[in-house]
Amino acid sequence: MTTAGPDQVRSARRAQLSIRLVDVVGRLAAGTTTLVPVESPAEVEVVDTWCRGTGNSVLAVHPDAVEVYRGRLSDLDSILPPDRMPGRRLWLYTNFHCNLACDYCCVSSSPKADPRVLGVDSVAALVTEAGEAGATELFLTGGEPLMHPAIAEVVAICTTAAPTVMLTNAMLFRGARLRALDSMPREALTLQVSLDSATPDLHDRHRGAGTWARAVEGIRTAREMGFTVRIAMTVASRAGGEEVEVERFAATLGIRPGQLVVRHIAKEGEATQGIVLTRATLVPEVCATADGIWWHPVGATDEAMRVSADLLPLRPTIEAIREEYLGYRRRGDVLAASFPCA
Amino acid sequence: MAALVVGAVAYTANVVPIWEGIREYFADSSAPMDFVLYSNYERQVDALLAGHVDVAWNTNLAYLRTVGLTGGTCRALAQRDTDVTFKTVLVAREGSGLHGLESVRGQRLALGSKDSGQARILPIKFLADAGISLDDVRPVIFDSDVGKHGDTGRSELDALQAVLGDEADVAALGITTWQQLKQAGELGVEEVWTSPDYCHCNFTALASLDDDRAEAWTSHLLAMDWDVPEHRRILELEGLTRWVRPQLEGYRSLEEAMREQAIPLTW
Ligand code: SF4
Repeated sequence: MTTAGPDQVRSARRAQLSIRLVDVVGRLAAGTTTLVPVESPAEVEVVDTWCRGTGNSVLAVHPDAVEVYRGRLSDLDSILPPDRMPGRRLWLYTNFHCNLACDYCCVSSSPKADPRVLGVDSVAALVTEAGEAGATELFLTGGEPLMHPAIAEVVAICTTAAPTVMLTNAMLFRGARLRALDSMPREALTLQVSLDSATPDLHDRHRGAGTWARAVEGIRTAREMGFTVRIAMTVASRAGGEEVEVERFAATLGIRPGQLVVRHIAKEGEATQGIVLTRATLVPEVCATADGIWWHPVGATDEAMRVSADLLPLRPTIEAIREEYLGYRRRGDVLAASFPCA
Repeated sequence: MAALVVGAVAYTANVVPIWEGIREYFADSSAPMDFVLYSNYERQVDALLAGHVDVAWNTNLAYLRTVGLTGGTCRALAQRDTDVTFKTVLVAREGSGLHGLESVRGQRLALGSKDSGQARILPIKFLADAGISLDDVRPVIFDSDVGKHGDTGRSELDALQAVLGDEADVAALGITTWQQLKQAGELGVEEVWTSPDYCHCNFTALASLDDDRAEAWTSHLLAMDWDVPEHRRILELEGLTRWVRPQLEGYRSLEEAMREQAIPLTW
């Protein structure tokens, strides 16, 4: 009697796996999955190799089985339009403190919030790496970015690299901050100002008494200074149709049609109600804060949304985000929704 | 123009997405089509002869039976590129020392379903051509997918399993099954002999199908393009890279085998 050597054992087992794959996956309807039991990482490798060679795909690797998908899985390019590819936009939380304390603030900003300022050097490094990874749009948000001690420098770094949008409540256009604003380029920079309603009521209810009037005044100032301004409305529901009135009102401030972003209140930060967002249900928009890299700016204080505690290197984190998101889409358990912040 | 009706055998669940995809591809053409699925090739050949379908996607055996039953008046419209270079491979355990047809003499030979061209009828013919009759080997038979003409590959996998389980020394496999199996890497199984090319499936029509309709449909089929992602999805599922015009000489070996083995035209 001869005893089988380890090589023969391996190829015998591989032959069994192969027969099973041809049989089971071959009979599987396109677009469906099956679990193929495996006993070692080497066998996972065998299944993966077989799938690549036969036009099938490994959907997931479980501890004792590989989930095989009949057919080729789509890649991110076929799922997302180019401008939504994670990494095309980079969000930077310049700081977390704010002159306001809105009741729906998704990152719990307020005058008392820990500033967690993103340093100028970090901004420069992030912007450079993001550019190398294909970023074509930059977004500055907070907190109130104008409370960043070197906001003019931050804006200069960003606008030199790519078109930049700075989110602001437009209420601090005075003194040194007004001078900082005035030093910013008019060409590559757009100011996105929060305005929730065409009249003070609703806006003031969420953001504080008198804030609507001062935001409108800020918009006028920015327009007079020659800045491109767009408006962001945060709404609990679109049912009221308030956006038509806001757009009409915005036109009276010299804001071009279409320059209105409508965002739902998300159940993040201070908001106790609003749409619930998870990594699996949210198209990622890479976001950096002093505390790391996050899935999306709307969850920039939600620990479950933190992808990395390290700001740099950025490229592997972007890759990881793409990979994870692709996994969710391929799994198809949940259809990811996009959540526009800008 | 009325839709051309194509018959196909539902040997896997993917026959549905394949034919829905092909029908969609033809929807905007000058030769729209629809399809009807059958559970086995016998039903499908009957349906073609009865005029229930205009064209049948036939295996080699189903085609030759149609040839016989129509007195040779039926015609083939197109095939897969993979159909014109089909082969049978005889495989054995690595280290068996078996090489070439002659070495199969006296061995336990695992063969597939009785209506499988690649796994049964042709291996027997190729051996006979080399002077080795079934009496000269010890056949181990797996009739595991009769009616599907070997299209499920089930009987071929059973044959290979028999070799691995030491119930047979040599197994006859269709080239497509063998290529798929090999994608997993080294299996401890090696080729003993590979047959000459022969033809597998084709689209078969009766003589009564209008020439212009047949040509409009065929030329649109041939225009499917691997580089177009929607086309590729279907081509990949159906196991081809492009459709080609029929190469009928590739049916000669099976035609002879059916005569020699007295395989009936009807059953
Ligand atoms: S929503 Fe904006 S303006 Fe309001 S507290 Fe938060 S960061 Fe400040």
